[in-house]
Amino acid sequence: MSNSLWRYVKNVQKMGFKNYVRAMWYIGDAKGGKFVGEDQFGNKYYENLNPEEETPGRQRWVDYTQHNFDASQLPPEWHAWMHHIRKDPPSSDFQMLQASRPKWIGPFRENLSGTRGAFKTYSTTQPKFHAWDPKVSQRAPSASA
Amino acid sequence: MSAMRTALLGHIVRPTARGITSTVRIHGLRGVQTTSSASATAQVQQSEPKAAIPSGSGKASSGIEIAQQGSNQLSLETPRNAAEYVLSTFDKIANWARQGSMWPMTFGLACCAVEMMHMAAARYDQDRLGIVFRASPRQSDIMIVAGTLTNKMAPALRKVYDQMPEPRWVISMGSCANGGGYYHYSYSVVRGCDRIVPVDIYVPGCPPTAEALLYGMLQLQRKMRKNRKGVLWYRR
Repeated sequence: MSNSLWRYVKNVQKMGFKNYVRAMWYIGDAKGGKFVGEDQFGNKYYENLNPEEETPGRQRWVDYTQHNFDASQLPPEWHAWMHHIRKDPPSSDFQMLQASRPKWIGPFRENLSGTRGAFKTYSTTQPKFHAWDPKVSQRAPSASA
Repeated sequence: MSAMRTALLGHIVRPTARGITSTVRIHGLRGVQTTSSASATAQVQQSEPKAAIPSGSGKASSGIEIAQQGSNQLSLETPRNAAEYVLSTFDKIANWARQGSMWPMTFGLACCAVEMMHMAAARYDQDRLGIVFRASPRQSDIMIVAGTLTNKMAPALRKVYDQMPEPRWVISMGSCANGGGYYHYSYSVVRGCDRIVPVDIYVPGCPPTAEALLYGMLQLQRKMRKNRKGVLWYRR
């Protein structure tokens, strides 16, 4: 049984009290598994392929670094692993290591929508029409004055 | 309690310089990685991994931390005195309550509404986030505009929005609601529902997947969490 009380108790024993509190806070379940790796931001990745211990479909999970976590905080290599696009974690994935990333690819950034780092579109072309700016030219001095 | 905890964490000022240097280091690592050629021996390949994919040794700073340096939001989230500390804690409690029970008013207008229903169904299961569809505008706090907004529907949309109690948010779902989309040049379609109501989150797609809409809901939660109305009132 993957969702039994015995599994829960066993996982709490396995992970220790401190990790248990953190897991209940952020994941909402006492999950026990093998530590697979850590990315450059400090997100920790775990795996438990035993169907007796974890429900199939929940066998890979991540422990986010940030308090306000978001699925876009996973770098692409680890995203591929999390979603079973790649079988092996990027630290030992031969294909992932061989496929060298081009130099022009910038560093990975999470979704910055709603912050000052959000992408804002801009135009490089001349505007086709402008707002009316009323200008009054100086009157010529009249002859009668 | 979560609000208290975040309030305590808010005091920790994250250093700027360290964050920037660590990203520079990642650039350097990527440079090393691209030099690997096909002639590399097995030993090199085994030593490469650590350089190729940056792992736990050097922590890169998150983009949000860099983006919010010196921002008004960061200043609001860092209390200056005891009164602001109390007020920001109340703000966080209010935010927590709001983000935990988002009740969307469904404004299903077209095929996007089908994806919106998928968000409610078993696979994406919005109920686990406390999102419950409420068919009455007077008891809902979010409106999901799902689909093409026609000129004929626009007054009805505005009326429904006006009937919703404050605080209220609007999610524009799909390219038709975002900016007219496929029907942008039609004579009978409003070119974006933001011409009728103020929009908080735009979900792109035609139609967006249920996953995309759920991510939009999570982004709206993030927006709700940033609310510091009490501190703003105090500083004014």
